[in-house]
Amino acid sequence: MKMIRAMIRPDAADTVTQGLADAGFYSMTKFSAFGRGKQKGIVMGSVHYDELPKTMIMVVVEDKDVDEILKLIKYKAYTGNFGDGKVFISPVDDAFTVRTGEKGL
Amino acid sequence: MKEIIAIIRPKKVGPTKEVLERLGFPSITAQSVLGRGHQRGIAGEVACEIPTELLTQGKAGGMKFVPKRYLSIVVQEMDVKSVVQAIIKVNQTAQIGDGKIFICPVDDALRVRTGEVGINAIA
Repeated sequence: MKMIRAMIRPDAADTVTQGLADAGFYSMTKFSAFGRGKQKGIVMGSVHYDELPKTMIMVVVEDKDVDEILKLIKYKAYTGNFGDGKVFISPVDDAFTVRTGEKGL
Repeated sequence: MKEIIAIIRPKKVGPTKEVLERLGFPSITAQSVLGRGHQRGIAGEVACEIPTELLTQGKAGGMKFVPKRYLSIVVQEMDVKSVVQAIIKVNQTAQIGDGKIFICPVDDALRVRTGEVGINAIA
């Protein structure tokens, strides 16, 4: 299993989650986060915004689905400008459903 | 070291914290998050009987994300099983929406105050 954490634009969050749902990946967690990237925030006129609001989407999926989800996020969150976000993939050893206590997704 | 990520009902954070403290794991990180599972939102989350036609309506629109609490606990490998069992036991309500637990590997940890690394940092 892999955990995919995508830091994306808040306005792209709905498009991405809808796209994931359409592809059959309903289960996900999201929350708002603040961060900056290589561009060190953004300068608007004389004001420097150090940290920019982003939405983090967290999905845990089987290994075989990772490529498809990456492709989806890449397509749905894309604007071509700086600040489209980053996606991180990390391993997950185990998953449990609390209600049943069962192992697995 | 393993990180235990539990996504649970907001109401159950208190009891969970109490149980973990009794087990000897008082340190947690919590965050309020929104999420959904196999049920695609709120359908089936409440205690009362829902008419099937309302259920289908809820799936079409309704509440797409359910507020949850995200708890992250970093423990040693040997403690993973007991912590997971404890979280499952407190959080079970037999209704859909009890949450999920994920276990992820953690390479290293550092306590900022003392500079300790590894097991010492989380003990």
